[in-house]
Amino acid sequence: MLETINLTKRYEDGQLAVDHLNLKVEPGEIFCMFGANGAGKTTTINLLLNFIPPTEGTALVEGIDVTKEPLRSKDFISFVSENVTLYGNFTAFQNLDYFTKLAGKRGMTKADYAKALKSVGLQEEAFNIRTKNYSKGMRQKLGLAIAVIKDAPNILLDEPTSGLDPKSGQEFLKLLIQMRDQGKSVFMSTHDIFRAKLIADRVGFMKKGRLVMLKTRQELAGEDLTELYIQYMEERSESEPEYPK
Amino acid sequence: MLKDIIKKEILETITSAKFVFTFLLCAILILLSVYTGIINYRVDQKEYSAAVALNKKNLESQPSYQALANLGTKINRSPQVLGSISTGVDEAVGRVATVNVAFDPSLVDSKYESNPVFSIFGALDLTFIVKIVLSLFAILFTYDAIVGEKEKGTLKLTLSNRVPRDRLILGKVIGGFVSLLIPLIIPLVLSLLVLLVYPNISLSGQDWGRLLLMFLIFFLYLSVFFTLGLFVSARTNKSSTSFLILLFIWVTFVTIIPKLSVLTASRIKPIPSVHEITAKKDAFLQQIQVEYQKIAINYMKENPMKKGESAKDFQDRFKKWLEDIQQEATAKIDANNAALERDYGAKKRSQVGLAINLSRISPASALTFSTMSLARTGLDEHERFLASIRTYKPIFTKWANAKMMRTLDFSGTGQPAKVVLDDMPQHKFEPETLSKSLARTIPDFGLMLFLIIVFFAGAYVSFLKYDAR
Repeated sequence: MLETINLTKRYEDGQLAVDHLNLKVEPGEIFCMFGANGAGKTTTINLLLNFIPPTEGTALVEGIDVTKEPLRSKDFISFVSENVTLYGNFTAFQNLDYFTKLAGKRGMTKADYAKALKSVGLQEEAFNIRTKNYSKGMRQKLGLAIAVIKDAPNILLDEPTSGLDPKSGQEFLKLLIQMRDQGKSVFMSTHDIFRAKLIADRVGFMKKGRLVMLKTRQELAGEDLTELYIQYMEERSESEPEYPK
Repeated sequence: MLKDIIKKEILETITSAKFVFTFLLCAILILLSVYTGIINYRVDQKEYSAAVALNKKNLESQPSYQALANLGTKINRSPQVLGSISTGVDEAVGRVATVNVAFDPSLVDSKYESNPVFSIFGALDLTFIVKIVLSLFAILFTYDAIVGEKEKGTLKLTLSNRVPRDRLILGKVIGGFVSLLIPLIIPLVLSLLVLLVYPNISLSGQDWGRLLLMFLIFFLYLSVFFTLGLFVSARTNKSSTSFLILLFIWVTFVTIIPKLSVLTASRIKPIPSVHEITAKKDAFLQQIQVEYQKIAINYMKENPMKKGESAKDFQDRFKKWLEDIQQEATAKIDANNAALERDYGAKKRSQVGLAINLSRISPASALTFSTMSLARTGLDEHERFLASIRTYKPIFTKWANAKMMRTLDFSGTGQPAKVVLDDMPQHKFEPETLSKSLARTIPDFGLMLFLIIVFFAGAYVSFLKYDAR
């Protein structure tokens, strides 16, 4: 489970990136966070990963305060970034082997790696190719394979579907659904309204660091998410959040 | 985990194109420099042997001791075997000095005199390659060590795992350094083998000790740039910025500081020119010549041939007096020259010392001075050699004067005495011992260790706080 309590981040230049964010992503849930560039989505992920310290509030991963026990909290979290580039001179196997060892998983065999790579839809003939020759979709799949093999209960994804072709995007969503079905908490920051609508159990809208709208799948049914997005981004005052405190 | 990080660093580097390029270039340059160094040493050895033999032949062929005393003997500096690794100042300074009764000896006939083009580009020795080329490679290997991972996004991915930052930086340092050493060690070992198997090249136990110390300082020097690269990489957010900063520091260390130090020292502690000193010596020589000519005339007037004294007795008495007076005049000239040289030498040493100490803040200068000292091709060894010749000069002069006076023939009828060199005193020069050379290089070793510690600590602390986003 991922949780933020009054999580706030104000940068040194005075910019308020995240403003008293209260959020909980339950096990078996996919939460999609929308927002314009600079709305605070990525900062939220960075705070959950303890890459930056919060100005105020708490970020919890499986109930562990990430600022107090940063290393332990990372055992329970997997991260997939927007542009997974990895080590270009390494093959998929080598990249997977390295990051699996960093994740503390020992005794993995080549068969285990092959299974993880197949599970994300990577073609077998690509396993031994240097990843600098991969397409973006292939790299994203490999990034997800790293998350799969780590098998952490929480997944953080930072705009993972940007730039993916429709087929790759579709396969990517299937994998996220599989992860959710395994009981993992999935937090995804995205601009991809169409794909998010297909898989999200809940969606949130961020504006100037504040969560200004929160809707469940049921609440979204029959609504035009695109229209809603534009409306909230343009009109909703940041002083009027429409979600239960 | 540390092992995994080290392994990854090594594997990532050795599978890259830059490693292959670096390895090939290092291998070619190192082997080429050592090979040409050996060839040059062999040529110098042959030239030295020929010059020594020619000098002996010249001396023996002199018609009289007077001719020998005026011509003088030539003292050649034997080539240094480790000059094939670090040429030092050997090619810029003179290799031979003429010691005669008249003039103060100085070393002339440098390699640069015979071919001035060499002085423009300098020698392609191993020290040059390490100082210029390999230090650039060290920067090339590290400028993006941390900031590059940030740009690629792998730093975020790495730190999203249970990876302590101190272990990650340690792994990067060890792995990166091993990767840098591979293209260096293999050609170095090969060049050692070349030194071992090449005919007529023999290294004493001390030479091997010196060589190992030189290799040690090469590694320290490269470690300075390696840790500096890591430090700058951990302080910047763009690899292009990191590279530019490192390039600027490299240029400052390698070219600007050494040149500025020499200029600054010459301003702070100016010294008279060599011509000025020579003019003073010549003036004193002329003064002595005039003075002693008068003394000789007066002697002849005041001490004519006594009644009953045979011509031979008179000649012997005069020869004895002349020998004494000649020794006295030469001693005065030598003393004056020595005083002038002492004064000039002290001023010069002071200026050179200041220039060296100022430039020592640059690791490139520290590398140059330490390898020169260890290879016995530095300024100090040159000065010691010159000093040994100046010490030899009065010994030779005394012998030549004695021989000359004892064989003077006033009648002008007899044959001049045949020149015999058996009892001619020989010039001796004891090369500096390894312990003394090592003591001289301790500041350089110390400076490099200090810089490595500072840069590593800087990189370490910076990385602990580094913004991985």
